[in-house]
Amino acid sequence: MSIIDTIRTANHNLFRNKLRTFLTILAIFIGSFTIILNSAINSGVNNFIDDQIDMIGGKDYIVITKAGAMNSMGGAMMNMGAGTPIEYDENAQAVSFTKNDLAKFESIDGIDASSIDRQDSGTSYTYITSEKTSKKYQGNGLGIMPAGDFTIPMIVGDIPDPETKENLIALESGYPKALGYDKDEDIIGETVTLGIKDEVTGKVKEFKAKVIGVQAPGVVAFNGAAGTKQLVKEVKDEVEKYYPEAKRNTYYAITARFDNSKYTESEIKQILEDNGFEGMTVSDMSGMIHVFFDAMSVILNIFGGIALIAASIGIINTLFMSVEERTREIGLNKALGMSNGRIFAEFSIEAISLGFWGSAVGIILSMIIGNIVNNLTHQPGGILEALPTFNLFNFTIGNILTVMFIVMFIAFLAGTAPAWKAAHKNPIDALRYE
Amino acid sequence: MNTVIEVKNLTKTYGKKANAFTALKNVSLNIYKGESVAIIGKSGSGKSTLMHSLALLDKPTAGTIKIDGVDSTKLKGKALNQLRNKSFGFVFQQFFMNPSDSVLENVTLPLKIAGIRRKKRHQLASDALKTVELTEREKFKANDLSGGQKQRVCIARAIVNNPKILFADEPTGNLDSTTGDKIIKLLFDLNKDKGVTLIIVTHDEDLAKLCDRQIRISDGTIAEETKTKKGKK
Repeated sequence: MSIIDTIRTANHNLFRNKLRTFLTILAIFIGSFTIILNSAINSGVNNFIDDQIDMIGGKDYIVITKAGAMNSMGGAMMNMGAGTPIEYDENAQAVSFTKNDLAKFESIDGIDASSIDRQDSGTSYTYITSEKTSKKYQGNGLGIMPAGDFTIPMIVGDIPDPETKENLIALESGYPKALGYDKDEDIIGETVTLGIKDEVTGKVKEFKAKVIGVQAPGVVAFNGAAGTKQLVKEVKDEVEKYYPEAKRNTYYAITARFDNSKYTESEIKQILEDNGFEGMTVSDMSGMIHVFFDAMSVILNIFGGIALIAASIGIINTLFMSVEERTREIGLNKALGMSNGRIFAEFSIEAISLGFWGSAVGIILSMIIGNIVNNLTHQPGGILEALPTFNLFNFTIGNILTVMFIVMFIAFLAGTAPAWKAAHKNPIDALRYE
Repeated sequence: MNTVIEVKNLTKTYGKKANAFTALKNVSLNIYKGESVAIIGKSGSGKSTLMHSLALLDKPTAGTIKIDGVDSTKLKGKALNQLRNKSFGFVFQQFFMNPSDSVLENVTLPLKIAGIRRKKRHQLASDALKTVELTEREKFKANDLSGGQKQRVCIARAIVNNPKILFADEPTGNLDSTTGDKIIKLLFDLNKDKGVTLIIVTHDEDLAKLCDRQIRISDGTIAEETKTKKGKK
């Protein structure tokens, strides 16, 4: 008997008792539906977190400030996810690195000196405002950086080409609204004003910049507005001109890579603390979120697994009944020369088909529901309205195929006992069967 | 004459120890190529067990069965399946058909098991159905046929693989006499025209007399062996 005939016959037999087959598939569907949905949500969340980590740099990436500075910065960072810029406060002051601090930092064992990226205080503008509002707002974190250094997901518009000889800027999410634009797309093409204050004289110099994009918000982002090199330079030059001598060439924060094969994250943080610095690793920013979702995922997978175990008992039962009912047919097939192997294969394929249909229906339905939920969460008022690039459910081909394969394999295992029984039936059983 | 089946001291016991029941005791017989043999006896006499043993569907407790000179105990797995599939044909009293499948599908079963391609096996099955004069019923569900038609489908299924030996277990048992006569004619035509060795298990004396030879089984042993005189059929 050819393979194709075996598969065709198995599928034909499967749908002889339609109701029973349907009920068994239903049971498998419930299990695979749970697991698919769960793996999609896990993948969606982890994707999002990884996206955010890519924005920062990677696992060996560390953000260093002078001890005590993290709180003020942390406030700005935490603020990002919520998407509301902090109003400009004249008394706010950052604790900066000096050149001496930098030299000390470079000599710390485990820090890759060549990777040090100084976030110039100089590029921090003092406030940002627009024609639509009288309020002034602080720049987040690093103020303004040249575009091109980071991967930045955008909600609307583009990241400025750093080489463009124009003052172009991509704002962070939340700013358009604060600056008096109801929708993110409304600010595209509009001009915003960046103010820089001379801390000695109190004089203010303002720059105009054209907004060409709005960045997507993130929960762990450590970022600033992205601008063209020209804009960054103008701002920096102006800041340096106005800044007192002592504040020139100082740094707001330093980012660097550390040797993560030599030190664990907590070890390097301890070393930094001993030297009067504060470090913040990627895990600090994303770790808790990963841990939470992974734990949730395990629990949900256990539920899915239990459902699948129940479903496989259903498969065993269905196939045993089928073997009993088809005793005569099996006997006849054997009398006509069908091998044990083929009979085993036929029943195994029936089991695998049950797994296939159950998981296929589970996948299709979970994808439909997942996409509906994804859309709903991004609607105005939805829980993820503020995070348009974050899809709660992320269905990947890899996930889908893995779940399908696992379900079909479980179905095969469940089918082995009935298939074995069928294969080893005595042909004369059929001939005597009344 | 060529011996196709050679049975020596065949004993078959069912059950164990105290419950043991001996269905066949020391049966020896030969079946020759192209002949028609009736195995007759009352129910419970052991005639069905004998046929099952001859067809290698049941293993003897003692004794030997040789098919074309080959000891049956040496036939295992693939060789045994090939023999059943290619050399034997079966016609059963209870038909054993897949009621939901078409007549054609039922007839192709042995060919499907043999791994013959779909197109070819449909052709061969059509030919077999032509022999039993059921061409116009090809597409019918097996369940929608009358008893006689069902038995003809079974014969078509039994001959579709061009077997050397055709085993018929009470082929007319479920049929009225007119329909039964048709089936009998079909079987003997196959025997005469195609040289198929015919082994019929029956309790019907009239049917038995139509065969070249009658082997009467009683209490698990051969009680009598008779030959029909030529030209008397």
